Amino acid sequence: MVGLKIKNLSKTLLGMEIIRKVTATFLPGRITALVGPNGAGKTTIFNLICGYLTPDNGAVFYDDEDITGLQPYQVARKGIGRLFQDVRIFEGMTVLENVVTACMPYASESPLFPFMRPLRLSRLYKHARERSCYWLEFVGLYAKKDYPASELSFGQQKLLAIARLLSKGFRVMLLDEPASGLSPIATKKVMATLERIVSEDRDKTIVVVEHNMKVVTEMADWVYFMNEGQVAFFGRTDHVLGAREVREMYLGF
Amino acid sequence: MTLLLQLLVNAVCNAAIYALLAIGFGLIYRSLRFFNIGFGAVYVIASYVVIALSETFGIPLFASIPLGIFAGILSSILIDRLVFSPLEGYGAPTGVLLVASLGVYIAIVNLIALIFGNEIKIITKGMEPSFTIGPIIVTRIQIAQILIGWTGAILFWLSIRKNTLVKAIWAMGIAPELVIALGLPYKRMRAIVFSLSALFAAAASIITTLDVGIDPHVGMGALLTGAVAVIVGGVNFYWGWVSGASLIALLQAIGVWLFSAKWNELITFGILIITLIFRPDGIFSPKRRAEER
Amino acid sequence: MNYIIHLIIMIAIYLILTLGLNLVVGFGGLLSICQAVFYGIGAYATTLLMMKVGVGFMAAVLLSVLITGIFALAIGIPALKFRGDPFVLVTLGFQAIVFTILYNWVELTRGPYGIPGIPRPSIAGYEVTELPEYLILTSLFAGVIIIFLVIIYRSPFGLALKALRDDEMAAEGLGKPPFYLFLGAFVISGMVASVAGSLYATYVTYIDPTSFTLDESIFLLVILLVGGTGNLKGPVVGTVFLILLPEALRFLGLPDTIAPNVRQILYGLIIVAFMFLRPRGIAGEFKLR
Ligand SMILES: Nc1ncnc2c1ncn2[C@@H]1O[C@H](COP(=O)(O)OP(=O)(O)O)[C@@H](O)[C@H]1O
Ligand SMILES: [Mg+2]
Repeated sequence: MVGLKIKNLSKTLLGMEIIRKVTATFLPGRITALVGPNGAGKTTIFNLICGYLTPDNGAVFYDDEDITGLQPYQVARKGIGRLFQDVRIFEGMTVLENVVTACMPYASESPLFPFMRPLRLSRLYKHARERSCYWLEFVGLYAKKDYPASELSFGQQKLLAIARLLSKGFRVMLLDEPASGLSPIATKKVMATLERIVSEDRDKTIVVVEHNMKVVTEMADWVYFMNEGQVAFFGRTDHVLGAREVREMYLGF
Repeated sequence: MTLLLQLLVNAVCNAAIYALLAIGFGLIYRSLRFFNIGFGAVYVIASYVVIALSETFGIPLFASIPLGIFAGILSSILIDRLVFSPLEGYGAPTGVLLVASLGVYIAIVNLIALIFGNEIKIITKGMEPSFTIGPIIVTRIQIAQILIGWTGAILFWLSIRKNTLVKAIWAMGIAPELVIALGLPYKRMRAIVFSLSALFAAAASIITTLDVGIDPHVGMGALLTGAVAVIVGGVNFYWGWVSGASLIALLQAIGVWLFSAKWNELITFGILIITLIFRPDGIFSPKRRAEER
Repeated sequence: MNYIIHLIIMIAIYLILTLGLNLVVGFGGLLSICQAVFYGIGAYATTLLMMKVGVGFMAAVLLSVLITGIFALAIGIPALKFRGDPFVLVTLGFQAIVFTILYNWVELTRGPYGIPGIPRPSIAGYEVTELPEYLILTSLFAGVIIIFLVIIYRSPFGLALKALRDDEMAAEGLGKPPFYLFLGAFVISGMVASVAGSLYATYVTYIDPTSFTLDESIFLLVILLVGGTGNLKGPVVGTVFLILLPEALRFLGLPDTIAPNVRQILYGLIIVAFMFLRPRGIAGEFKLR
């Protein structure tokens, strides 16, 4: 089966079972939302998928391939990208360099590459710069492209991280609270892009963790509702968000 | 066999000194979370003050030794007040503190070398009285080393368990934010950490100097021995520090027995590297997973 | 005149060392204190290859680079499992261990007695003996290595190292393997230092272990901290400044007996001052973690 699938994932840290037998499927061509109160374990699920944590039990499958226990860079190279909840930009670089370093093909990062293929390298750089400029333009940071990334505001850094992720063309994107800290206009734009990405390319899988229910209702097709390390509800967006128990547990009314 | 026994007695002495070094270094490393190379400078200062007072001014040892310890404590607090505290106030990361402490060490050690010369200095002249127990010979200063070292280690352990302020200092290493949240006197605790650390450094320094003399550049070796003992034994486990110190002393003695004393450094750092690779939390502390650190 | 040429040669040798180390410290953000190990292995390997095996200068330089590369690999693989203080400690441990071996393995290195009478370099039958000739030789080597390093600084490899330095998790998430990239930087930096060692040994024609101590490793790190890292400018500024500083002091008329200590005191104070004023160095971009 295509898509990203987690099966019976469990994780105990410091004696606390923070993820308990979570099973979920994230389908291509769809936006799936992961919602739930703070501390429910959403970020931890992303860490387990991407290899930053190793599950105690269970497995992660991507297109039927078992990718459990791979290193984070190996997971990324399979085409699974991630936006961190805390932005994590490269502070010692310019805004443009932040995106260019994401765009460069893996093979060009060998130390000997510039000596073996100097011409190809300059073409690659040119291409990466063009693509980076396109995505910076897209998120509205083009004017700041030569600024040190550390001088951006929090919202701008978030946009930069999004540009970096989008420019890379990952097949699966795991977005941890992409809208927090963004202006309503920027949020709309980013969400519209995500919707466009899945509708244009039915091969792409998008998973978002989001607290803004309006945003979730508008864009997500499916929702997993998590509470205390478990999946409490799963279903079509309107069903889950309409359920009385979810509203009680999460929204408090 | 006699040689081995003699070497083991020496190892017990060395273990006592290494334990003092480990406690002195570990106090700052654990409570304040930075690798303080300035500890090596304090180590050197204490002995040189004793040397200056007894050699130059003819003050007898029973008076100049406490003054040397006092000078060590004073310099330790002064270094913190002038360099580390302000840097920390600017929010300096631990890398900056480590490098700054290296600068402090280099400046102080060379100042001492400038005044006293780079050669080795010896305080006690003549033969040290010694006792023969069967085939083994123990000198008076070795007995003092064992007594002082092990008393120091046990007293400090008791104060971790009984004294509230020392308890708080010990707890500070795990949860630094707690100190502020509980309204504990951070500045005073910091001063105590630096004084206690200096006290142990000075004790180790002076009893070593009385035995074999000192040159201005031994501070780095003393610091590293303490650091290796703490890390090999386990930063978060007090008896680990002492066990780490003992292990180093023991393996060095075995090294001398099998090969020669010149490979001591190789043994110390060999243990360090092997421990870090196989038991990064220390040989004597319970195993934890990397993710939980 | 000879004095000035000597200084330029020393600056060239140190530029090789610091610009190589810059790859690990400035680009990778890893505080490595065993650069003198690779400098020393390069110097000893070249010396022994030339004197005991009878290899020519160029072949000895290349073989030494290879040997040092293997050592760098052997040190880097365990060291790079760590970051922060433990990394510093492991590199420091290897510095102490290799020094102890150079000092005590008397059969091979003559230990503290050192090895005198190292042959002058001879390239394609032309023997380099005069000081100006040596200046040309060192400058050529330094030039080639600096160009090599600058290309690496500007390569995607350099960019990826910077990404890992600034945020390892985020860089991993973009497909950059920390261990392999750091190891690459570590080995290249070691191999480059080996060339500096070869040049030094055949220039001074005498080596002993005291040139490759922990203090030397610290000195190289201080050059980077003062000059700044993460680019070409920083290490160059730092190297020129700190190599010329003792000479400037000499002009002040300090007696030779106290000059080394005064110099060291100044280094110490400069380091502390820089940590307060400019933790990024005079011309650097990298921030200490
Ligand atoms: N590295 C860790 N060590 C120990 N506990 C952790 C760690 N990471 C997360 N946790 C705990 O796991 C729980 C879930 O956290 P998280 O996945 O960040 O929740 P969410 O993203 O849904 O807000 C929290 O209680 C948190 O304290
Ligand atoms: Mg979260």
